[in-house]
Amino acid sequence: MNRTRTVVVLIAAGVSLVAVPTIASPADYHHVHVTASNATEAVKWYTLYMDCQPLADRDDGVDCDGVQIVFDSRPSLGTSQRTGIDHISFSYADLTSKMAELEAVGVRGSGVRLQRFEDGSTLRDAPGLFKHGFVFDPWGTRIEMVEDTDYLGFHHIHLSATDPAATLAWYQEMFDGDSARLRDRLSGVLFGDTWLLASHHEEGTPAATAGRAIDHIAFSVDNLDLIGADLRGSGVEFLEEPAVPEGGRTSGRRALIAGPDNVRLALVEAWFAGVATDLNHPVDITTDLQPYTVPRTPWGAPDFQGVWTGDAAHGIPLQRPEDLANVQVLTPEQAAARRERGTLGSIWGYESEWRDTTLGYVKSAPSRQVAMVIDPPDGRIPPMTAKGEESRVAARAARRPLAEGPEDLSSWVRCITRGLVPTPGVYNNGIQIVQGPGYVALQREMIHETRVVPTDPRSHLGPDIRSWLGDARGHWEDDTLVVEIRNFNGRAPYQGSSDTLMMVERYTRTGPNTLEYRFTIDDPTVWTRPWTGMFAFVRDDTQYELVEYACHEGNYGMTNILSGARAQEKAAHEVKK
Amino acid sequence: MLMNDRLREVVTSTSILMVSLWLVPSLAAAQAAEVPRAWDSRPDLNGIWQAIGTAHWNIQDHSASAGPPDMGAIGAVPPGQGVVVGNEIPYQPSALEQKQWNFENRFTEDPEIKCFMPGVPRATYLPYPFQIIQGDQKIMLVYGFADANRTIHMDKESPEPAPIDTWMGRSHGQWDGDTLVVDVAGFNGEAWFDRAGNFSSNLLHVVERYTLTGPNVLMYEATIEDPNVFTRPWTIRMPLYRRLEENVQILEFKCVEFTEDLLYGHLRKDPTR
Repeated sequence: MNRTRTVVVLIAAGVSLVAVPTIASPADYHHVHVTASNATEAVKWYTLYMDCQPLADRDDGVDCDGVQIVFDSRPSLGTSQRTGIDHISFSYADLTSKMAELEAVGVRGSGVRLQRFEDGSTLRDAPGLFKHGFVFDPWGTRIEMVEDTDYLGFHHIHLSATDPAATLAWYQEMFDGDSARLRDRLSGVLFGDTWLLASHHEEGTPAATAGRAIDHIAFSVDNLDLIGADLRGSGVEFLEEPAVPEGGRTSGRRALIAGPDNVRLALVEAWFAGVATDLNHPVDITTDLQPYTVPRTPWGAPDFQGVWTGDAAHGIPLQRPEDLANVQVLTPEQAAARRERGTLGSIWGYESEWRDTTLGYVKSAPSRQVAMVIDPPDGRIPPMTAKGEESRVAARAARRPLAEGPEDLSSWVRCITRGLVPTPGVYNNGIQIVQGPGYVALQREMIHETRVVPTDPRSHLGPDIRSWLGDARGHWEDDTLVVEIRNFNGRAPYQGSSDTLMMVERYTRTGPNTLEYRFTIDDPTVWTRPWTGMFAFVRDDTQYELVEYACHEGNYGMTNILSGARAQEKAAHEVKK
Repeated sequence: MLMNDRLREVVTSTSILMVSLWLVPSLAAAQAAEVPRAWDSRPDLNGIWQAIGTAHWNIQDHSASAGPPDMGAIGAVPPGQGVVVGNEIPYQPSALEQKQWNFENRFTEDPEIKCFMPGVPRATYLPYPFQIIQGDQKIMLVYGFADANRTIHMDKESPEPAPIDTWMGRSHGQWDGDTLVVDVAGFNGEAWFDRAGNFSSNLLHVVERYTLTGPNVLMYEATIEDPNVFTRPWTIRMPLYRRLEENVQILEFKCVEFTEDLLYGHLRKDPTR
C-alpha cells in the first residue's frame, strides 16, 4: 500500500487523540468534535500536566508535540488499561522531577493518579530502555511516562495484543508506517516520530476499546474509497460504512473498522472536522420555573412519590465563596467547570471505571446555584456561640490520627447514618418517597435509612427517647411538606450541631421533575441564629433506581482502617526498638 | 415442582376458600364491612404490625432451652409452637448438616447478632414492629430492626429480575381478591430464618400472602422454595397484630454500634476480644 495518510488517535471518555502525519505528505489534520464540560477540563488538565497546547481553533482538544488529543464528553466505560489500546505515552528529559511534580498534585488536587509498582515505587528502570512509570488521567486513560531523550513529548501509543508481531505487521502494512526497533530492543511501527508499540496481552483477549477511555485510533486518508476497498479485500470488518456522520461539521466522511485485538479504528477524510453534538442535558434545575400544579395522591395529599436524586446538586458549596459575593447564578460554563472540579477532587481512592459507571452526575445538568446557604442572605453560616466554639475546638482536639476503635470514625464510615442533611456526595444520592394516608416515608439510598413522617397532628416523643436521626413530625403548609425534627442524640453532628438541635425540613415540588429541599438548622447552644440551606432533588425514573445499599453488612472499610491502624502502630513500635 | 400430598391439600383448600369468598357476594360483602378499605376499595394495610410468638427463636416447635449462662432467665429460649405448616422443614441431607452447623455457631454467625438485614420472611416476625405504608404504586415496609425496609412494586406487569442479589430481595405485589400476594426473589442467600440456624440459599423464592381477617389482624403466610436447600416448597403461617397504642411509631433502632465489639473488638488498640 503506498498512499499518504495521517494518523489520528482518538481517546474517549474522553479523550481523542490525533497522532501526527507521519509520512512526508501534505495531508491536513482533521478535527474530532467533542462536547462541553469534561472536554474543557480535560484541555486544562493536559495543558497543565502533560505540557500540551490548547488547539487554536477549537476548545475541545490539545496538541502535544504534533499529536492532537481531542476530548469527547461522555461517560467512559472504564480505563484504557487491559483494552486493545492499553495506554499512551509521554517522554520527559527529567522524569524523576516530573513524577514528583505529579505526585505532589495528587488526586485530591486535580485527579492525577499514580500507578505504583509492586514495591510501592512510581518509577523504575526498564533495562536497556529508560526510566518509566504510569499515571492515569482523571477520566481513566493510562499514561506511561518515560525518559527517552531521543523522542521527547508525545512518545508512543501502546497496544495490547494476543500476537504483538502480527498486530504490528498489520498496522505497518495497512497504514504504511515504518517498521523499526526502539532503542534497538522493542519492535514497533514509526509514524513520523511517534511510535506504535505492542505488548503481549497476558490473560485472554484484550477488552474492546469502544466506549472505554481510549475509544479508538483514527487515520486520516487521502482516498477513503480506495483504502476502504483495500481493507475490505483484506477481510477487515466495517463497523460503520464510509459516510458523513450525523452532526458532521463538513462533508468529510468517516468509516469505522475493527482492527486486531478488539481495537476500534476510524478512517477519515482529511477535511473531516468532527461531529457537532448538542449539549443535551435532560434536566436543568435552575431554569426559570413555570407555575406548577402539584399532583395529588388519590386520597388528596400533594404527591411526592418516586425516586429522586441529589446528583444535580453535587458540588454546590454549603457556604457562598467570597469571590462570588454578588453573583446570582453561575453561568452554565462555570457550573460545568465547578462540577468537574468537585468530581475530580472527590475521586481519591476510587477506580475511574467504578466512578464513571456509578455516578449519576453526568445525567443531569450541573446546578448553577452559587451556595446552599440562603439564610443569612450573605450565604455564610452565622457565628457560633461561645459554647458552640468551645465544643468545636474540643471535638477537633479529640480527633486521633489513628483510629483506636470504631468510635473514632464517623457515623458514616461506621454505616450508622449518613447524617442529618442529605448533602449530595459523589455517589448514591437517591431518595425514594412512598406515601400512604397520613404518612410520608422518605428513604435515603445510602445506608437505607427511612424516615416515616406522620402528617397528622401528634405530639413529639418524650425527651428521654433520643436517636441519631431524631423524631420527626410533619404537616402540610399548602403544597409543602414541613418536617420538624428534634430529640437528636447529638452524636452525628451537622456542622457542629448538638443534641439541642431543632431541625425543620421543607419539601416543595417546584416542577414535574424538581423537588426543592430546604433545611433550617436551629441550635441555640451552638449558633447565634438559625440558618437555612437549600438544594433540589431531581427525578428521572428512566435513569435512577434505588438498589439496596448494604453498608454495614459489607463494611470491609472498617476492618481495613482498623487493621491498618494497628499495623502502623506496630511499625512505629518496631522503629523505636 | 414436587409437592407432597399434605401440602397440596393445604394449598388446594385455601384456593377453594378464596374462590368461594369471591363467588358468594354476601360473604364477600360481610368481609368487606369488617376490614378497613383504602381509596381503591382494596384492604387498607396501613399501620404498624407485629408478630407475637417465638418464631424469631425457632420457626419450628421447640422446648425451652438454656441461653448464654451469664444471661440467666433473660437469655433463655422460651418454648414455642412453630409457625411451619406441618412443622417439618424438608431439608436436603447436606443442607440439614449446614443447619446444624449454623445452630452450633449461632452466637457468632447469626446475621441478626451482627445487625445485618434480616431478609424475608425473617423480617416479618422479628420481635419488633414494622410499618406498612400503602401507596398507590408502591407499598413500603419499614422494619424496626437494622434500618431494614422493602419496596413492594405494585406497578409492574410481571416480576422483573432483581438488578443485583440483595439481603431483602426484590418484591413484586398484586392483589388476589382481598389478599396481597408478594413474590420475592433476588436474594443473596446470606440471611437466616431464625436464631436456630434455619437458612436458605440465593435461589430462595418466597411467595407471601397478607390477608386482613379483621381491622386488627393481618394473616401472614409465606411459601418458601429453594431447590438448593429443600426437597419441596413449604409454608409458614402466623397472625400479625396491629399495634394499638396511642401515637405508636417505629422507633429508630440502629443496632450497628452494639455489634462493633463483636465484629471489630479484636482490631481495637486495646482489644476487647
